[in-house]
Amino acid sequence: MATTLTINGEPKSFDAPADMPLLWVLRDVLGMTGTKFGCGIAQCGACTVHIDGKAVRSCMLPVGAVRDRAVTTIEGVGASPVGAKVQKAWLELEVVQCGYCQSGQIMAAAALLAATPHPDDSDIDAAMAGNICRCGTYVRIRAAIKQAASQRQS
Amino acid sequence: MTIAERNFETVSRRTLLAGGLAGGFLFAFHLPARALSVNEPVQPPDDTAGKFAPNAFIRIDRSGTTTLVMPQVEMGQGVYTSISMILAEELDADFSRVALEHAPPSDKLYGNPLFGIQATGNSNSIRAWWPHLRTAGASARAMLVQAAAQQWQVDPASCTTANSEVMHKDSGRKLSYGALALAASSEVPPKDVPLKDPKDFVLVGKPLKRLDTPDKVNGKAVYGIDATLLNMKFATLKVCPVFGGKVAKVDDSAAKKIPGVQKIVVLDDFVAVVGDHMWAAKKGLDAR
Repeated sequence: MATTLTINGEPKSFDAPADMPLLWVLRDVLGMTGTKFGCGIAQCGACTVHIDGKAVRSCMLPVGAVRDRAVTTIEGVGASPVGAKVQKAWLELEVVQCGYCQSGQIMAAAALLAATPHPDDSDIDAAMAGNICRCGTYVRIRAAIKQAASQRQS
Repeated sequence: MTIAERNFETVSRRTLLAGGLAGGFLFAFHLPARALSVNEPVQPPDDTAGKFAPNAFIRIDRSGTTTLVMPQVEMGQGVYTSISMILAEELDADFSRVALEHAPPSDKLYGNPLFGIQATGNSNSIRAWWPHLRTAGASARAMLVQAAAQQWQVDPASCTTANSEVMHKDSGRKLSYGALALAASSEVPPKDVPLKDPKDFVLVGKPLKRLDTPDKVNGKAVYGIDATLLNMKFATLKVCPVFGGKVAKVDDSAAKKIPGVQKIVVLDDFVAVVGDHMWAAKKGLDAR
């Protein structure tokens, strides 16, 4: 079935069954491998993308349900001021260890800051609880979210 | 001859294993002897044309871009950065302008000196590579100095290096490594090249930003699962839930009807479904 989605601001057309999770469309059909496969059952957060700015687990989202809503992935999140601030803070505080979960962490953090520009610890806990990091970078993730929040919109 | 090759002449795999056992701490990296000849192309398949490529680890093009070839796998331990620091230290390269590349498969050129194979583990990357990478950097530096000294008709010993430039203090002349890349390629690597006195280190020992992380915040880093080949298919498999169990029979009629399923592979103890994408493979495997 021919489908067109707006991904990172650009229209992308492809053939995929409507029940195919967005994750596999991104990775296997469109070759956008920045979004990671972790658990495949929406329990780890590695596959997090934005649908109309909200953090969504792409491994459980049928591509047919996206329709005309805007998809943003880790490859495109830096185009928004808030996404760029998050990426910058991530590097300044050296959040990344192995990095495998960080695409999802950054997408979750950017969605949080877009909705809540100055989150407190409980806001951060609530928004980030679904993103697991085996390296245990949680302390730096929290610090980087606060640093990104403290930076002026560039 | 490369540094890695020289290394393997003096340390055989047998002595490595013996030494490891004597040390009482050995990773289980046993390979059948013939496996050592696997993955050993005569030349590293990376692009060295038009570049100063004095050994397996350093490539300098005419623009001065210095590409460092990483023999160890970056797993978050920061080894891409520390290996680069060691090479750049002895090379006196401009650290802000280095580019990194993962080594192609070659046990001969890139085998971990302590394992004898291309492997990363045991927390030994720096211990294993330290002398070899320093020598690689220092040899390349010496060849660049020789090329500059020849061009200026001066004693190489009167030249100094820093930030990817060779300088001749007495005459105030300097040449960038990029400008010297071609001439340095025809220089002979020196024997017993001197290494820096640690008190003169400008990179090693300093806390520096990691070089691998910028590509890990924008989705560009390529992990094993992200490797893509032309017309690549995707497969997933089911093994017998009982240890030692074998496949009794397979009815693949439902799986074959799933769009995108290409092939069902039945082996002794597992069934795999190959599809155009992971979703087809997964649906095929679950099809009843």
